[in-house]
Amino acid sequence: MDATITGLEESKKGFQLSDRWIQIITTVAIIGLWELLSRTGLIKPVHLPSPTRVLSTFIYITREGYPQDITIFKHIKATVWRIIQGYLLATATAIPLGLLIGSHFLLERAANPVITFARSIATISLLPLAIAWFGVGELSSILLIMYGAFWAILTNTIQGVKQVDVNFINVGRMFGATRRHIFFRVVLPSTLPRIFSGMKIGLGVSFMVIIAAEMVGTVKGLGALIQQSRLYYRTDITIVGMIFIGIFGLIISIGLDRLERVMLPWAIGLEEVKR
Amino acid sequence: MTSDDSKGKLFVRHVTKQFDIENPEQGLAIKDVNFTVQPNEFLTIVGRSGCGKSTMLNIIAGLLNPTEGEVLIHGKRVTKPGLDRGMVFQTASLFPWLRAIENIEFGPRNIGMPKDERRSLAMDLIKLVGLEGFENKYPRELSGGMQQRVAIARAMAMDPEILLMDEPFGSLDQLTREDMQRELLRIWETRKKTVIFVTHSILEAIYLSDRILVFCPHPGTVRKEFIIDLPRPRQKSSTEYMGYYEEIYANIS
Repeated sequence: MDATITGLEESKKGFQLSDRWIQIITTVAIIGLWELLSRTGLIKPVHLPSPTRVLSTFIYITREGYPQDITIFKHIKATVWRIIQGYLLATATAIPLGLLIGSHFLLERAANPVITFARSIATISLLPLAIAWFGVGELSSILLIMYGAFWAILTNTIQGVKQVDVNFINVGRMFGATRRHIFFRVVLPSTLPRIFSGMKIGLGVSFMVIIAAEMVGTVKGLGALIQQSRLYYRTDITIVGMIFIGIFGLIISIGLDRLERVMLPWAIGLEEVKR
Repeated sequence: MTSDDSKGKLFVRHVTKQFDIENPEQGLAIKDVNFTVQPNEFLTIVGRSGCGKSTMLNIIAGLLNPTEGEVLIHGKRVTKPGLDRGMVFQTASLFPWLRAIENIEFGPRNIGMPKDERRSLAMDLIKLVGLEGFENKYPRELSGGMQQRVAIARAMAMDPEILLMDEPFGSLDQLTREDMQRELLRIWETRKKTVIFVTHSILEAIYLSDRILVFCPHPGTVRKEFIIDLPRPRQKSSTEYMGYYEEIYANIS
């Protein structure tokens, strides 16, 4: 019984330095195990190269580039720039559209089947269509990224508007708010947390489709890098590509979290209370 | 249809509300309700859950329209919410994204009051409801009782003639509830308004009101009216108090 009480108190203390150490040690241990298994030949390099191999490949790509002259930084820049464009396009269209559809019952009814149908289509399957319509190149990949992110943002925005507490609307009505006031001063702030949820999910989808999106024949980009490595069974390059996609996904995700904290200081506690 | 006699009074005439749900019988919330409210009176509608008292209040507020009948204020028919009526909801319903003082400023802001004016108005109300020092807190940082005080201040910010209160203390614990009842009377005596209060607690109704209307359900109608002829503050243990309680309780089913 003493142990459980201590456990509860410890979990309340939050993230401690000792937790950080456990994370570091575990990560190092896993990498070490990986290295060991590679060295003894239990894991074949073509399946999963050793960490040291991945590191040296990374250094190579940084210096020499792969394919020739395209360093890892050029790849990163190309991918990140595409994602930013596609994602911003998705946000700029999905949020206003979602607000509009969510506010009008009939519109939502009409749009529902279209949305359900369209979001079920895996972005990668639109690849041939994109190439046919927009050709090979930047525009196609950006639009594919946009397509991927769009639906999550749209559906979450619509739900956010629909689920605005009717009491809040009544408060608006009782306190002299015009229809415009109710939209901008009640509905919109109320919906923001849900919009952010949609944006986070949409961001995740952007990163998931990046590999498919860069199959349009681009040479630069982390997804393109992974495509290239596939052709030559260079698993080590594949892993370098994957690691970087993961890192940038993490960075942008943390950025979004920070932004949310700044914009919605009142919502943080709300989530905890709801839980 | 105006007459001098109607000045400041609120008339509820033959109000019926039928909700459009599957079972029409269940949808008949209130039927042929008639009563008058005097200016600056503290009137309470008391009844069980589901007796239609909240529906009645929402119709007076203008949030709902009656199926039949009308509500008249100053001789004019109520069809939608107006600045002459303020409301305190059951669940404070403060906007979580606004601080306490900004919640109070919400109404004045909508009607275009300048920033300085509404800030000082809101601060006055913060002081009135005893929340000085808490004006910059977000609702989630306030207790239930404090949130309801902000809700009362918010309703008062529009300086309405009539204050509508829908079981405002229902979600509070007993002790806080009793504090709030005293607070409400104090505020009411400072800034006299007509109050129409809804509750299912008979004791609360007797403590607060000049007059009590007992509502009975299926469909909701006024069963009986009681005038509480006791000086305030009222002793909940006094024989008269308990006498009223017995009478009202007997009428409530």
